[in-house]
Amino acid sequence: MSDAASSPMLEIRHVTKRFGELSAVKDVNLTINKGEIFALLGGSGCGKTTLLRMMSGFETPTEGAVLIDGEDVSNVPPYKRQVNMMFQSYALFPHMTVEQNVAFGLKQDKLSKAEINSQVQAMLALVHMTDYAKRKPQQLSGGQRQRVALARSLAKKPKVLLLDEPMAALDKKLRSQMQLELVDIVESVGVTCVMVTHDQEEAMSMANRVSIMHEGQIMQIGSPSEIYEFPNSRHTAEFIGSVNMFDASVKHVGTEASLMSCTDLDSVMAVEGGVNALEGARVGVAIRPEKVIMSRSQPQQTQNWAKGSVEDIAYLGGHSVYHVRLASGKIVMATTTNVDRHEQRLTWHDEVYLHWSASSSVVLYQ
Amino acid sequence: MSKLGARSIIAVPYLWLLLFFLVPFIIVLKISFAEMQYAIPPYTDLVAWVDEGLTINLNLGNYAYLINDDLYARAYLSSVRIAFLATVCALLVGYPIAYAIARADSATRNALLMLVMLPSWTSFLIRIYAWVGILKNNGLINNSLMSVGIIDQPIAMLNTEFAVYLGIVYAYLPFMVLPIYTNLVKLDNSLLEASADLGCPPWKTFLTITLPLSKAGIIAGSMLVFIPSVGEFVIPEMLGGAETLMIGKVLWQEFFNNRDWPVASAVAIVMLLLLLVPITFFHRYQSRELEA
Repeated sequence: MSDAASSPMLEIRHVTKRFGELSAVKDVNLTINKGEIFALLGGSGCGKTTLLRMMSGFETPTEGAVLIDGEDVSNVPPYKRQVNMMFQSYALFPHMTVEQNVAFGLKQDKLSKAEINSQVQAMLALVHMTDYAKRKPQQLSGGQRQRVALARSLAKKPKVLLLDEPMAALDKKLRSQMQLELVDIVESVGVTCVMVTHDQEEAMSMANRVSIMHEGQIMQIGSPSEIYEFPNSRHTAEFIGSVNMFDASVKHVGTEASLMSCTDLDSVMAVEGGVNALEGARVGVAIRPEKVIMSRSQPQQTQNWAKGSVEDIAYLGGHSVYHVRLASGKIVMATTTNVDRHEQRLTWHDEVYLHWSASSSVVLYQ
Repeated sequence: MSKLGARSIIAVPYLWLLLFFLVPFIIVLKISFAEMQYAIPPYTDLVAWVDEGLTINLNLGNYAYLINDDLYARAYLSSVRIAFLATVCALLVGYPIAYAIARADSATRNALLMLVMLPSWTSFLIRIYAWVGILKNNGLINNSLMSVGIIDQPIAMLNTEFAVYLGIVYAYLPFMVLPIYTNLVKLDNSLLEASADLGCPPWKTFLTITLPLSKAGIIAGSMLVFIPSVGEFVIPEMLGGAETLMIGKVLWQEFFNNRDWPVASAVAIVMLLLLLVPITFFHRYQSRELEA
């Protein structure tokens, strides 16, 4: 990955896309490196699909440029771009067999019959669909259709593979299996891959890097763990996973640790390291539920604790999510792993102490 | 109970067909085996009491007559030829119209569909008669061309085979446009995008994706134009000349000019049998499409 950073495959430079009055994408800059699996993650209407369609050529940017392998392709039509897309609906041609679907793109390149045939067979073998070569798309299951769609979009050896909501049409069980398999296939081919998804689990489990999009802009770009553990905005923190967000004011800025006061807590709040704000400034402090520890007795620490009562429990098998109401009325989520089958767990209306370490929380300024 | 309910619902269209299709057909079939006579009705009974015995007079002479006189064979062939060419023309004109309507945004789409259907709300006869006024020697086209000075002599358009083609294409165009439109409007746009994505320029996408996927609409539309065109009477009668030979006209002449009901009925029966070929083909194709 280190030397790949110096060889960008896809660049988005100051791209803006307007549809009439509405700006779907606002001044986006993005560099995607060779061999990378990159995810554009965001809610509906955040502009991620428009951005993807500008990469494939179905939309042209109002301003800015799209570069593929150093070449400006902003106004190149889709049929002249070395980019292939796997559509959300797969868009397999219903009047053609699996084989013909995979061969379709190759036939446009004036290759010899033998070359087309060997490439089609190689692609079908890659996605384990060789036995289904003569079937029509409507005779296949959802997962099989996805394999064919993937084979078809990889057949032309594109410089960039685009995946539009790749798992949206699959049921949940198949989804997690196909996520891993798709990553394996994409990595074995070594193609640069950009995917669009609204499903954070999908983005985090498949991509090397994730960008969070919101209202046409990119909020944060980073590895899945960076995005989760070090969100740079309230929006990112709240969009990825669940989070407890506290409003606090800065009391003391130190180098080892800084102190905040938060009216919701029974104690002073401490965060690791310095804070990029003046004393008295209002900030947000985000703490992930799995980092909040519950206990029946008062914790030893003097900072970062609060007392409350269990308001609601979501039992999810492997773990449970507790909703604890503090004296101020604020609900704080805490996750526990269900290790012991016979354990006497906390139950509704139990008095409970919540605490966490100073390194667990993230200070957010916007 | 529900079975009885379901059956009684199905019974309604069946009764309708029985009453208004099968019974008249049997009557025509019966007449086609009778002999002409100057009476009311102008044909003999098939079943008669002669000398206190029941005799059935099946007269195959009318059919033999159709074979012997080559007028009928020529009329059938010419009808099929005219209907076929007119269908091809209607397809060439109708497909782009259907395509444009299907591609238009939904607000304009309804207005355009209305424009296609609106003419059929007035009388068919009046619309064909209007074409007489447009095409005749001192009609709209010739007069305006002559007043501008493009031509000195009127172009003979009325009473030609050209006018018959024009009339058929004009009259049956909605039957071509609507099935193709219904088909094209369902076409998934992502298929066209996928084709472009895989390197197909738009014209090639049309030939390899759009056209094959609208085959069902093309066949349905062509059948809806071809089948009634074969037996068309009004258009060749009003727009075609004396040399335009179509079976519908022959049928009319047998019925009303010659008053030979039995021969006319035989002509009608043979025409129906000829049309059974494309109809069965169409039906087969449709049920195969439904299964797929």
